[in-house]
Amino acid sequence: MDVWHQLAGGFAVALLPLNLALAFAGAFLGTLIGALPGIGPVNGVAILIPIAYALKLPPESALILLAGVYYGAEYGGRISSILLNVPGDAGAVITTLDGYPMAQRGRAGEALALSALSSFIGGTLSVIGLTLFAPALAGWAIRFGPAEYFALMVFAFTTLASLAGKDPVKALISSVFGLMLATVGLDPGSGLPRFTFGELKLYDGIDFLVVAIGLFAISEVLVLMEQSFLGSARQMRVTSTRVSLMVFLSTLWTILRGSVIGFFIGVLPGAGASIASAVAYTTEKRLVDREGTFGQGDPRGVAAPEAANNAAAGGAMVPMLTLGVPGSGTTAVLLGALMMFNVTPGPMIFQQRPEVVWGLIASMYIGNLMLLVLNLPLVGVFARILTVPRWFLIPAIVTLSFVGVYAVNNSAFDLLFMTGIGVWGYLMRKFGFPLAPMILGLVLGHLMEVNLRRALAISGGDVGFLFQSPISLALWLLSALSLFLPFLVVRFGRGRA
Amino acid sequence: MRADRFVGLFLLALALWYGLEAKGLEAGYLADPLGPRAFPLLLSAVLLGLSLFMVFRPAAGVGVGFPAWKGQLAVIASFVVYSELLLPLGFVLATTLEVAFVARWLGASWGKGAAAGFGFSLALYLIFVFGLGIPLPLGQWWPA
Repeated sequence: MDVWHQLAGGFAVALLPLNLALAFAGAFLGTLIGALPGIGPVNGVAILIPIAYALKLPPESALILLAGVYYGAEYGGRISSILLNVPGDAGAVITTLDGYPMAQRGRAGEALALSALSSFIGGTLSVIGLTLFAPALAGWAIRFGPAEYFALMVFAFTTLASLAGKDPVKALISSVFGLMLATVGLDPGSGLPRFTFGELKLYDGIDFLVVAIGLFAISEVLVLMEQSFLGSARQMRVTSTRVSLMVFLSTLWTILRGSVIGFFIGVLPGAGASIASAVAYTTEKRLVDREGTFGQGDPRGVAAPEAANNAAAGGAMVPMLTLGVPGSGTTAVLLGALMMFNVTPGPMIFQQRPEVVWGLIASMYIGNLMLLVLNLPLVGVFARILTVPRWFLIPAIVTLSFVGVYAVNNSAFDLLFMTGIGVWGYLMRKFGFPLAPMILGLVLGHLMEVNLRRALAISGGDVGFLFQSPISLALWLLSALSLFLPFLVVRFGRGRA
Repeated sequence: MRADRFVGLFLLALALWYGLEAKGLEAGYLADPLGPRAFPLLLSAVLLGLSLFMVFRPAAGVGVGFPAWKGQLAVIASFVVYSELLLPLGFVLATTLEVAFVARWLGASWGKGAAAGFGFSLALYLIFVFGLGIPLPLGQWWPA
């Protein structure tokens, strides 16, 4: 079959020594970044982009490294959830519910081993899903015209707004910030400078990298200064990380269900690892929690969210690669990174840059295997990072961010701009605005405008053209639905209360 | 007054300013009916509507506090100084100072912070320059 032929080509790329080393580095760093509370996949990927760029890696190698950090972080997040009751990243919040009680009962090693296995199964199943679905979706999306693309991007913003934050209005405002930033620079159509205020530095547009690192690393540092759990862990001994076959088998169906749920939720724009793990957990609780042991250290309560959050990471790659429309902050950052390497994801990527997509997919099979090995016997090493003091970690993140931006741009102006964006991002978070929509807006802004203008150039200015085809009409309806659903749910909830 | 209402008013001003800037741009023509102006105007209108929503329907007031503002301001100021000193002082010295300063605010002693900063920056320097081949500033104030 064609898919297997392509996948074999991908393995030829992924098995090159450089790419193997990068997949390992990504998996290792990802686990480390995931293990640290406060710093999640999006921060880690943002900090590593400039390094990948400055190394002049080929795009597929850079993507292999950055994606490794992304799905590796979903493995690492569980470590502090289980040991400290503090989630290592957003996808591991649910893992605290049963993971920490298991640790309190002296079953920490078992919980770590079981969650590593669940992560591996969830991760691998979702790569299989990616292998099978992505080419099909790309084949279907190849017929998308500018009107469909514009509607698709609107859909991505509205679902992200309704699912990602508590307040959809603030999430939408955040996306508008990103779109506004994207309009700075020379206009793609006429070449006219817009919002540059005579500043030549702004003609090329706002640098994606500077914004990504400012938003996700510098603002994170300012948030971390308010929190004290970093480095508060006492030295913890994790002696044996084993789980008996009996316990593993008793959770097998939970893991499989969690993986499938996680994958499909990951594919949806806007819904990522955190929603996937929550849905998987509540599903299992409803289905199998007959004795009411969920929440008191039930192994299935650890397996379900861990399988789901790793599966979601693979699922989230599907729209990013095949449509060029990411559905989460981290995949938006990955998309921005790809664009820096002059690769434009979308339905054509399977024909134009097969080495990039298939190399990445193949490397994800390998990376998940590496992560299983890293996270079973070596989990104690990663647990030790939780004892690194806060006073060292915070300036270390700062230094890495500055070095990264400096290595790519060599300019003190960009460092100041990054600091400014960091302060802006911090204030946004304080006032309840999610950051992911803003980075999505910045990454998609250009495409969104170009597609809108193309669509109206085709129709000669008739706005009705945007709603003509059945696909775009369906996307508009879904957008409206996703936007108004939260309001309706709130109304309904109030009416009943 | 709720914090959200303030934020809403600020965003309202931002939307108006952005919209006015956009209005000065060229309008479209036959082959490109929207031109460079329409998309920014659309964004301005969307932000205008959303910020009005925030002004008139602010979320239930959750107090926004800044318990660590002194340290945060100091750290932000140190970022600015660090950006400016990176080139003249060189990566290792500037980073040592930056790490020591931030660490001091987070409760470590000057000596501890400086030692950690020196070790960390030296290690990073060696990895970047000799391991990865990415140049970092050596410093302009030192005799070559």
